[in-house]
Amino acid sequence: MNGKPKIGVYVCHCGTNIAGVVNVEEVVQFASTLPDVVVARNYSYMCSDPGQALITDDIEKFGLNRVVVASCSPRMHEPTFRKTLLSGGLNPYFLEMANIREQCSWVHEDPIAATEKAKRIVEAAVVKARRLEALDVKEVDVEPACLIIGAGIAGIQAALDIADAGFKVYLVEKSPTVGGHMAQLDKTFPTLDCSACILTPKMVDVANHPNIELMTYSQVEEISGYIGNFEVKVRKKSRFVDMDKCTGCGACAEVCRMAGRIPNEFDEGIGMRGAIYLPFPQAVPAKYTIDKENCLFLSKGKCGESPKCKEACQAEAINFDLQDEIVEFKVGTIIVATGYDVFDARKKPEYAYGVYDNVLTALEFERLVNASGPTGGKIVMLERGKKKKKKEGEEVEPPKVPKSITFIQCVGSRDKSVGNEYCSRVCCMYTAKLAHLAKDKIPDCEVTIFYMDVRAFGKGFEEFYDRVRREGVRYIRGNPSEIFKRGDKLVVKAEDTLTATPLEHETDMVVLSVGLVPRSDNREIIDLLKLSQSSDLFYLEAHPKLRPVDTASDGIFLAGVCQGPKDIPDAVAQAKGAASAAMIPMASGKVKVEAQTSVVNEATCRGCGFCVAVCPYTAIELVEVNRNGWPVKVARVNEALCKGCGACAAACLSGSIQQRSFKDIQILPQIQALGVK
Amino acid sequence: MAEKNSDFEPNIVAFLCNWCSYAGADLAGTSRIQYPSNVRVIRVMCSGRVNPLFVMNALQQGADGVLISGCHPGDCHYMQGNYYARRRFMLMRNFLEYLGVEPERVRMSWVSASEGAKWKEVIEEVVSGVKSVGPMNKFQRRQLNW
Amino acid sequence: MVEIEKLREIAREVISREDVRQLIGYRQGTYGFRARPAFVTTPEEVDQLIFSPACVNNLATYLTLEEKLPVPRGQEPDLRKVAVMVKGCDSRALVQQMEEKAYERDRIVVLGIPCTGVVDMDKVEERFPNVLSRGEIAMEGDKFVLSFDGKREEVPKEELLADKCRRCRYPTPLVYDQLLDEEVARFADDDYSDVLELEKRSAEEKWAYWEEKFSRCIRCYSCRNVCPMCYCEDCVLDRLNPQWMRRSVDISENTAYHIARAYHLAGRCIQCGECQRVCPVEIPLMELNRKFYKDVEELYDYEPGTDAEAPPLLATFKVDDREDFIL
Ligand SMILES: Cc1cc2nc3c(=O)[nH]c(=O)nc-3n(C[C@H](O)[C@H](O)[C@H](O)COP(=O)(O)OP(=O)(O)OC[C@H]3O[C@@H](n4cnc5c(N)ncnc54)[C@H](O)[C@@H]3O)c2cc1C
Ligand code: SF4
Ligand code: SF4
Repeated sequence: MNGKPKIGVYVCHCGTNIAGVVNVEEVVQFASTLPDVVVARNYSYMCSDPGQALITDDIEKFGLNRVVVASCSPRMHEPTFRKTLLSGGLNPYFLEMANIREQCSWVHEDPIAATEKAKRIVEAAVVKARRLEALDVKEVDVEPACLIIGAGIAGIQAALDIADAGFKVYLVEKSPTVGGHMAQLDKTFPTLDCSACILTPKMVDVANHPNIELMTYSQVEEISGYIGNFEVKVRKKSRFVDMDKCTGCGACAEVCRMAGRIPNEFDEGIGMRGAIYLPFPQAVPAKYTIDKENCLFLSKGKCGESPKCKEACQAEAINFDLQDEIVEFKVGTIIVATGYDVFDARKKPEYAYGVYDNVLTALEFERLVNASGPTGGKIVMLERGKKKKKKEGEEVEPPKVPKSITFIQCVGSRDKSVGNEYCSRVCCMYTAKLAHLAKDKIPDCEVTIFYMDVRAFGKGFEEFYDRVRREGVRYIRGNPSEIFKRGDKLVVKAEDTLTATPLEHETDMVVLSVGLVPRSDNREIIDLLKLSQSSDLFYLEAHPKLRPVDTASDGIFLAGVCQGPKDIPDAVAQAKGAASAAMIPMASGKVKVEAQTSVVNEATCRGCGFCVAVCPYTAIELVEVNRNGWPVKVARVNEALCKGCGACAAACLSGSIQQRSFKDIQILPQIQALGVK
Repeated sequence: MAEKNSDFEPNIVAFLCNWCSYAGADLAGTSRIQYPSNVRVIRVMCSGRVNPLFVMNALQQGADGVLISGCHPGDCHYMQGNYYARRRFMLMRNFLEYLGVEPERVRMSWVSASEGAKWKEVIEEVVSGVKSVGPMNKFQRRQLNW
Repeated sequence: MVEIEKLREIAREVISREDVRQLIGYRQGTYGFRARPAFVTTPEEVDQLIFSPACVNNLATYLTLEEKLPVPRGQEPDLRKVAVMVKGCDSRALVQQMEEKAYERDRIVVLGIPCTGVVDMDKVEERFPNVLSRGEIAMEGDKFVLSFDGKREEVPKEELLADKCRRCRYPTPLVYDQLLDEEVARFADDDYSDVLELEKRSAEEKWAYWEEKFSRCIRCYSCRNVCPMCYCEDCVLDRLNPQWMRRSVDISENTAYHIARAYHLAGRCIQCGECQRVCPVEIPLMELNRKFYKDVEELYDYEPGTDAEAPPLLATFKVDDREDFIL
């Protein structure tokens, strides 16, 4: 179909838009002298039906196999004329446009100069057209299923939306329960809704939805393919508890020899659990899990005479021989909703977290105020690390209640010294919330907040901040420099920057409002999906303004804090956005893939991998081929991933990788045509 | 050379990325912003496609100057292309200057899709720069039929 | 100085290994002071091997230059390792070749030679013209000792030292399996004085300088062929379709060739100086390469051939790369 070029050139008047400045006849006259041009015409409006008919008629009459339309910008009418070619029986990529309106007649007044420039533009288009090649217009089918990684509020919301729309969802959660951080919270700012009350119904829905296959305590191990056709491999870790048999009664946990001896992750280590456990009473699924590392039987091979849990389980659900299970499935789209970690307060040694028992992180404090937390919602002074050996008859002293609580904002946020320049967006407000809860639970408690700025930007935030201040919470502007102990009091050393007075503030308990940071295990997902990170190391969206839920890879979307710090409403909004973005290709069932992709000449490729390194879409890989009997590496383009930017073509020193429609062999003649005076 | 420059109309080849600079140049058109007609444009999808050897080739083929224009940093439609272009042209421009090719002849700009007015300024700057150094008379090809 | 006996003993061990196909080292040239590459395949051939300040060639070139002839049907390709002797500068070519995935580390056996400098053979021959018998060069302290025709001449190191050695930052190889001698500490550094001097000139002066140089070029492509980094199967500059440059030898095409050659080595040239050494018309090719080398170091803090894991210079970027030249 490439054949010897027979080119038709069509110069548009665009009414007087072009013809008013450019001498259209002269351009046509000139075009007809150019190599391989068999017909050159002008017409008042090429984009009109009769205009397009000129082209299709000429294709028929002259056997044209290349078409140059000299008119407006290709950004305007390239799709129009590509369709014209198609209806004339030509491959749409045999079109080249010469922009003599936006970039010529509209910007130059002098008819002679404009006509001269128009000729050059047309010549460049003709010499490129001579080299154009037919390209495949390709579509791929989209598997109507979505993989969602992470079942915090963002993942849960996205899963429910997609499943409600009728698509299959595979929801993979690493921990034994869904819910993420939101499940750990007590109330939520600024409305003080009870977190559990609004979250648990959704957790249950996700587990029961007919379109959702929930895999907790599971990890994605492998993903290959591209939009429409991702192959996924998931490892469902063994819980050593038969999920079908476990009734969630908890008899096992009560008798476990390790009961109360292992810090419960869900309680941020403030509460204790056994080796067989449910993270919290409302966990979904309500199935127990044995933690292999801490189980005496699994780690040491022996648990007393025999494992107590096994004896206690009436349902006979406990089975120490259960193995990890690998499941494989295919999806068309993927949503990443892996959330965050809180900042490790140990990285600010001046705050003595981990040194003094009553320096807490805000998340620990959340567990402390939480009615279903380890203290039943009582705010008490902590005695960490002390094993509470209950000796018979011994009176256990009731824990002390703090008389003063001090919060420090921006711990690990807006702090270049720890490498986090960004604002975590939630700490100002959750601090206000926790201060309010403290006041609420211990009315005579003195509550103080050290802050740099209070950022109350969201809906209802300023009002809430105002309310908390009116409740008697004291805000001191200053960034504490040190926390130390004096007697049984903690002393916060700071400077009140509003009055420029140094101060030492005594308090019973310090709560560090730690920021949100990228998860320490993000690398796993980055390697699986080849995601990029922004400078703050959260996952990078495709465009900060216009494609905030997309990633560079088609069919892979982001939701929740994994993309950057945000509160629950924003995480939910983004999840809904990601869900609808993922549903677009699934609903249409097909996606078009870029035709102007890159292509490698394997005979000359030297396998250096420069192209692999530049490609923003990881569309290229090095593969081993046989060259004259020798194994050599060459580049190969995955056309479903290539977006046609051409960065690889400029990086390749041997000219072995070329971008279709923008090959060196097509651009060099353009340069020549434009260079010549 | 000075009096020769007064009526010297340079010939400048420009490589524009489709998404920002080409769109910006189109916007200049839609807004009927007038600018010198010395610049002729080759559209590529991304400034990252532009091989610095295109600059060499254009100067050899008779261009008096070359312009490469892409999206502002962070705005590349393909995320990274303009960053690669920036490195490549920084080096190529320095190198050509080292050979005696005046830096006025090799220019790069960031022009976004909304910067029709900036496009005009860029063109004026580039044209006046090339005018100030006169016609390229160093290593262009003499015989012109390919 | 490397003891020749030790060198041969190690070489013998290496070439006797089952998994080593060939050893590339140096031997005495046929006349004068020159040394030339030796391609050793049997233990017997080891006794020709030498190392001396006459061993200027960068043998890394041969790793990528070797033509891979079609493997006859029914036969297996010989994938055994190749052993190669490298000085500090040459070793950087290996590192850069591996950065560019020319081969895997386990395909080669590297015999590293800590080096105190080699001679500039042109200077030697200028000083001792027409030495047709075989002569030898050795380094003793800060002197080169030349023995030929029964004579022994001492010349201060400075006077015969190759330019690249005056700027050498890596006298001890950066990659090796065995080091043939004690490590040599860095004894020189690069101040780019040559490049800086040229940069100071006016555009006119610069072009006058380069026009004269480029017009001398006969386009023999020796510079390309000797370069350890130029090893494309099919050089893009030779191609007819598309034709980047014509074959005619004139200032236009010659300049295009030299621009393209130097640019293709930006961030890749490891400063071994081989191109300039082999140029029959004495074009100062290193002054071209070194402009890129200097800019790459200054702008991007990048030194080619020092880290095989580094991403290729032009296939990476930093968000805050300099851009004050951009409108
Ligand atoms: C102390 C504190 C108080 C807060 N208070 C409020 C408040 O009052 N109001 C408010 O709006 N916001 C509040 N927030 C913010 C709120 O926690 C977040 O906005 C919200 O939890 C984000 O949800 P998410 O789904 O994005 O992430 P997460 O809740 O972190 O969920 C991510 C889930 O993904 C799972 N996961 C991670 N990696 C993988 C993997 N590789 N494979 C499978 N699963 C994986 C995790 O186990 C987790 O279940 C508070 C935050 C903190 C720290
Ligand atoms: S054209 Fe762009 S997207 Fe396609 S393979 Fe090349 S670098 Fe990757
Ligand atoms: S950059 Fe060119 S030579 Fe290198 S691997 Fe890619 S296609 Fe092959």
